This record gives sequence, C-alpha cells and structure tokens, in this order.
Amino acid sequence: MEIFTLDFMQRAWLAGLVMAVLCPVIGCFIVLRRQSMIGDGLGHIAFAGVAGGVFMGFQPVLAAAVATVAGSVIIEKVRTRMHDFADMVLAIFFYAGMALAVIFTSLNHSGGVSLSGILFGSLMTISPVDLYIVGILGLFVIAFVVLLYRPLQYLTFDEVSARVAGLPVESLNLWLSVLTALTVALSMRVVGILLVGAMMVVPVGCALLVSRSFSGTILGGIAFGLLSVVAGMLLSYYASLAPGGTIVLTGVACFVLCLLFRNR
Amino acid sequence: MDIITLKELGFTYGDGWLFRHLSLAIGQGDFVAVIGANGVGKSTLLRIIAHIMAPSEGTAYLYGTPVDRFRDWGRVGYVPQNPARRQRTFPITVREVVQLGRLDGRGLCHRFNDGDRAAVEAMLQRFRLTDLQQRKIGALSGGQQQRVFLARAMVNDPELLLLDEPATGIDSDAKEDLYGLLGELNRQGKTIVMVSHDLEMAAKYAKTSLCLDDGGLCFFGDIRAGLHHRHKHGYFFGGGPADPLI
Repeated sequence: MEIFTLDFMQRAWLAGLVMAVLCPVIGCFIVLRRQSMIGDGLGHIAFAGVAGGVFMGFQPVLAAAVATVAGSVIIEKVRTRMHDFADMVLAIFFYAGMALAVIFTSLNHSGGVSLSGILFGSLMTISPVDLYIVGILGLFVIAFVVLLYRPLQYLTFDEVSARVAGLPVESLNLWLSVLTALTVALSMRVVGILLVGAMMVVPVGCALLVSRSFSGTILGGIAFGLLSVVAGMLLSYYASLAPGGTIVLTGVACFVLCLLFRNR
Repeated sequence: MDIITLKELGFTYGDGWLFRHLSLAIGQGDFVAVIGANGVGKSTLLRIIAHIMAPSEGTAYLYGTPVDRFRDWGRVGYVPQNPARRQRTFPITVREVVQLGRLDGRGLCHRFNDGDRAAVEAMLQRFRLTDLQQRKIGALSGGQQQRVFLARAMVNDPELLLLDEPATGIDSDAKEDLYGLLGELNRQGKTIVMVSHDLEMAAKYAKTSLCLDDGGLCFFGDIRAGLHHRHKHGYFFGGGPADPLI
C-alpha cells in the first residue's frame, strides 16, 4: 500500500488527479474548436519557459505558466489578424518556443533540472511547492469554466450567433487561450511536454464516442481522464514503467476500446 | 417605430461595390424577404444588420442606435445559414442548443433560473421538439434542425428575427412547415427579416421584398409588386423555383 502512503506518491496522486480533471475540461473546448494540436504547440513554449526559468533562477512551473500564457495571448492576437494562415502562425510560434528552449538549455551550465524530466514528465519528483501551484491554478481554471460554462459552450458551438447574442467573443477566445496555456503548464510535470497535448485530446476523444451532449462530453472526458491517470499510475508503479507514457497509453487503449464498442 | 434603419450603407471586398448608397427603413411587424441572385450581398446585408460584419460605409441602426453601439441583443433573434450542417458531429443535444438562446443579451454571468427553464420548455413544446430534446442535433433532419435553431432564436421572445436562408437544404414539406411557423410568428407581432431564394414561399408569407442585384438595391416595397417588378425587368435568380406570379 506504499503507493498511497509515501509522501512523494501522495503528491503524485494529487497532481495527477488535478490534471485528470483539468485537461479534459479544457480539452473539450479545444477539440470541438478543431484546435487539437494547440496543446502540443503550447508545450513547446512551456519548455522554453522552464528552460528560461531555470537559467534565470525562477520556479520552473511558474516560469512555464508565465511563458505559455504570454505566448497564448500573442498567438491569439496574431491568429485573429492572420486568420487564413492560422496554422502557420501557430507553427512559427511553436518553433520559436522550441528554439528558445534549446538556447536556454545550452546556456544553463549549472544543471538543476533534468531535461528528460521536462520532456517526459517527472511525476514522482513533484515538490510541495509544485503541488500548491498546480492546486491553486487548477482551481482557478475549473472555477472559470464553471462560471462561464454556457458562454464558452455558445462560443464553441456557434461563434457567429454568440457574437449576435452580445457575448464578448474576442475576450472569451483570449481567456480560453489563457486557460489552455495554464493547463499545459500545470500538466507538464505529470506527463511531460511531449505528451501534455495527449491528455487534453485523448479523454475527450473517448467521450465523443460515447456521448451525444456537450455536458456529457465534458463529464465523460473527466471520467476517462481519471481512469487513465489512476490505471496508468497503478500500472506504471507496479510494472516500473514511465508514468507519463503509461497514463497516455492507458487513455489510448480506452479510445480504441470505445471505438470497437461503438462500431459493434 | 422603425426597427431597422439603413443610411447610405455600402459594402465592398475591395474590388467594386457589392452595394452602395443603400438607405431604407423597416418598421415594426414587417416581414421582409431579402431576395436576389447569388453573390449580390443578401447575407452580407443581414450580417451587417446583425453586427457580424462592419459596413464599408454608411450606418445600420437597430431601434435607432447604430449597431456597433447597440447593446440590447435580447430583442434580436438570429438564425445563421445552415448552422447544423457545419456541426454535424458536434456533441450537443436539442435542449442544450435551445438553452443557449437564453444567453442572448443577458451577459456572461447570467445564471440559469426557473424562468429560463420554463422558457426552454415552452419553446420545445411550441416548435414540437419535446420528444427530440435529448437527441444530438446532427442526428436530426434538416427541417427539424431548422426548427431547433428557430426555437433557439425565439426562446428569449425577441421582437426582431433575422434569418439567413432558413429553408436551405430542407424538403418541401418541412419548408412549408417552417414558413408557416414564420408566418404565425409575424402575425403575433414579430418583425422578420429573412434572406431567401424561395420566391414561392416569400410571396406566400412575406409582406415586403428587399431585392438586390448587381447594382445594389433594385426594389424595396410590397412583396407582390416586387415580384412583378422582378419579372418585368427579368432579374435572374439562378436555379430557383418557378416564379409564383407567372
């Protein structure tokens, strides 16, 4: 039972469960807005934030959060001005993020943060400070979505009509980008930058196969997110596998099962 | 009182004017069919009135206020062109779509209350959607989907309805049913502005025609006079139904 009693495992469980709820909630909006790859791209910018934070002596999760939020705001502004080339704009920012990360990493000779931990996740090394940041920012994101659930639903389903309804569409788009950025930054420690986008997409993909309502898709996404994290962490602990990869593969297995079940 | 006023309205994509110097007023209780060939700017005009697009020149007013300063969007219901066709796989039920209409003009922080729930129930019943309320919107027929979007536009009890080609892609029975519903709403006092290619139905239910051609506004007045005018001057509407007045 030490999987539940060891301090570092308790922190890992708490961080994992926060991410299991947070990622599908935000993921539902980005998947349905056909922006599934944005989580991946913001991960590149989060990488730059972590590398820059370590180089300048800041807390890595906070540095990643600041970098991704700033990046997402700039991307949203440029994307709305260059609507026809939105995917190109995203790609340019993501490459810039990765390039910055490479430079900061090469400048950092003091060590301190493991590159593989950033890229592949380091769930077992989450510190109490990391956990506080994940908890507080996670609560902020969830509270925001709960308060603005219907306006965000309107925006996602029919942006034009939401505009005619008098909703501040530009502000909502911007806030959704900021929330996505925060989610990426917070989830980075759990599954790693390379897999953070997967946790925003895979549970929602499973829920889409079994739900016909918007609320059902969000709740289903949370359920599949929790299932992936719990089963993935148990499996990774007892089989000595990397937690990030095991969590994501558990989610993918759920997706395949849902697909098979749906097609029968 | 004029609900919509257009003053010297013009729109261009940069190479020639789609329409220009367009000035007119639409009064309360009118049922206006915006007609004309493809590409003359019918939907653009409706989108300018709904403040989705900005005009290149001139001003559109709603209830005497320029649309860019208009805030009382709860008085306006809008049905976009083919809303569900773009979202066939979107996971949202009929009930959830109708509920969204209660946000119109109420701001970001509106919390759903018993009044909202009662209004949604009433609309589901009125548009014969009660049995379909838990169905996914993409699983409905074109006619049923249009009834859902009309219910969403009406759930806030707006005074003005803006509809962008509401009958596109639906069969003739569903079309008759939809226009019948619009006629009934108009008789109950709703002002309706509708972009339409369907001259037969427009002649049957609308009161006023707003006809656009390549030069901009070519007729604005009584619907039957408008269709006579159209026939006399030989406007081409491209693949539409037979002229109901011939």
